[in-house]
Amino acid sequence: MKTKTWIALIAGLLIICLFLSVWIFLPGKDAGYAQVWSEGKLLYTLDLRVDRVVTVATDTGRNVITVKDGRIGVTEADCPDGYCMQRGFCSSGPQIVCLPNRLVIRFIGQQEADGITG
Amino acid sequence: MKKFLIIFLALLTLSGCAPREEKASETIFCMDTVMDIQIWGQDAQTALKQVKTLLQELEATWSANDGKSFLAALNRGEVKPNAEQQALLDRAEELSRYTGGAFDPKLLSLMQLWGFASEIYHVPDEAEIKKVMKDGRWDLGALIKGYAAERIVQLLEPLKVSRAVMNLGGNVQTYGNKPDGTAWRVAIQNPNGGDPVGMVSVEGSEAVVTSGNYQRYFIGDDGKRYHHILDPQTGAPADNELSSVTVLCADGAKADALSTALFVMGLEKGSAFWRQNPGFEVVFVTQTGEVYATEGVNLSHCEFEVLSRED
Repeated sequence: MKTKTWIALIAGLLIICLFLSVWIFLPGKDAGYAQVWSEGKLLYTLDLRVDRVVTVATDTGRNVITVKDGRIGVTEADCPDGYCMQRGFCSSGPQIVCLPNRLVIRFIGQQEADGITG
Repeated sequence: MKKFLIIFLALLTLSGCAPREEKASETIFCMDTVMDIQIWGQDAQTALKQVKTLLQELEATWSANDGKSFLAALNRGEVKPNAEQQALLDRAEELSRYTGGAFDPKLLSLMQLWGFASEIYHVPDEAEIKKVMKDGRWDLGALIKGYAAERIVQLLEPLKVSRAVMNLGGNVQTYGNKPDGTAWRVAIQNPNGGDPVGMVSVEGSEAVVTSGNYQRYFIGDDGKRYHHILDPQTGAPADNELSSVTVLCADGAKADALSTALFVMGLEKGSAFWRQNPGFEVVFVTQTGEVYATEGVNLSHCEFEVLSRED
């Protein structure tokens, strides 16, 4: 092959590599989503722009989760303490936890921190 | 031209991906809290399994509220600690002396009196408090998550694990360094809810532990808020200007005990204690939302006043 063809080929490859690395390494800009985890398993990723009600019922308990006006909260729970409902509706911040029912709601799109203490 | 080609080709090989590092992560419900474990490296899966076993063992041994645990049996006077158990008990006593009693590992009866164990809350009067105050029953709740983090780090060291980050119910423990060379970033939860107070950056293996009056509390019949960090001197919730204290320290158990102790001491005594004692850094958040960080903390994303050693 001619040198020019080589150069074109390599330049093409380089451009593909560049795009791939940008695509792989760019942080996900998916703010406004919440993940619902139960017993350590991901059940739902919910778009907070879409209002809805989901019920998570397991052997340990039952929680009703409501998405409304861009925020999410636990609106019904059969846990003894009701801490999960005390948090009210949130769209960011620390995860909402229902310890007795082993339910966790996490906000994604805030991945700049490796952990949150408190 | 050929030379350029060779250089190009050489560069291309550099842009190739390094062998994919295995990642293992899991959310565990243990020690009455939620724990997030993330481990990277060749042995990540093995390490995760061992971490889970270790956490369950520690819970079964040290839970103050599980009647079947070693600690419960010790409190009933039924058993004698083995060497490893004795070492942790000694360490707890030593941390209590170190903090002038502000951290006290023997507050179980008080915690039970207030109802923080059963969640059937009650505001006791002074006579009730006096009765149980010095009965010496162990409760390592203010230390055990930090100790667990420390044990996990020891467990990871001989394994092929490049890095790990764990959140043991608000106690963050980092291990190793991120491949891009940037620091670990740990957000401090806002005691009033909403966006985090700020972000601390730490390198390598570090414990970042927070004690706050918003974590566990109840509202009494008098409408007052009673939180779970008891002042060993009064037997009542520590009552000062603080809403949270975050401690950064290489030693997990020490970080855990110190966050409680400094919360009990308050801003003034707490910062004086930091000036006299090396080896850890602190972020204080007051009830009015002011943030004070000791000079060794790398804190960003917020406005704060620096506490220096000299003052």
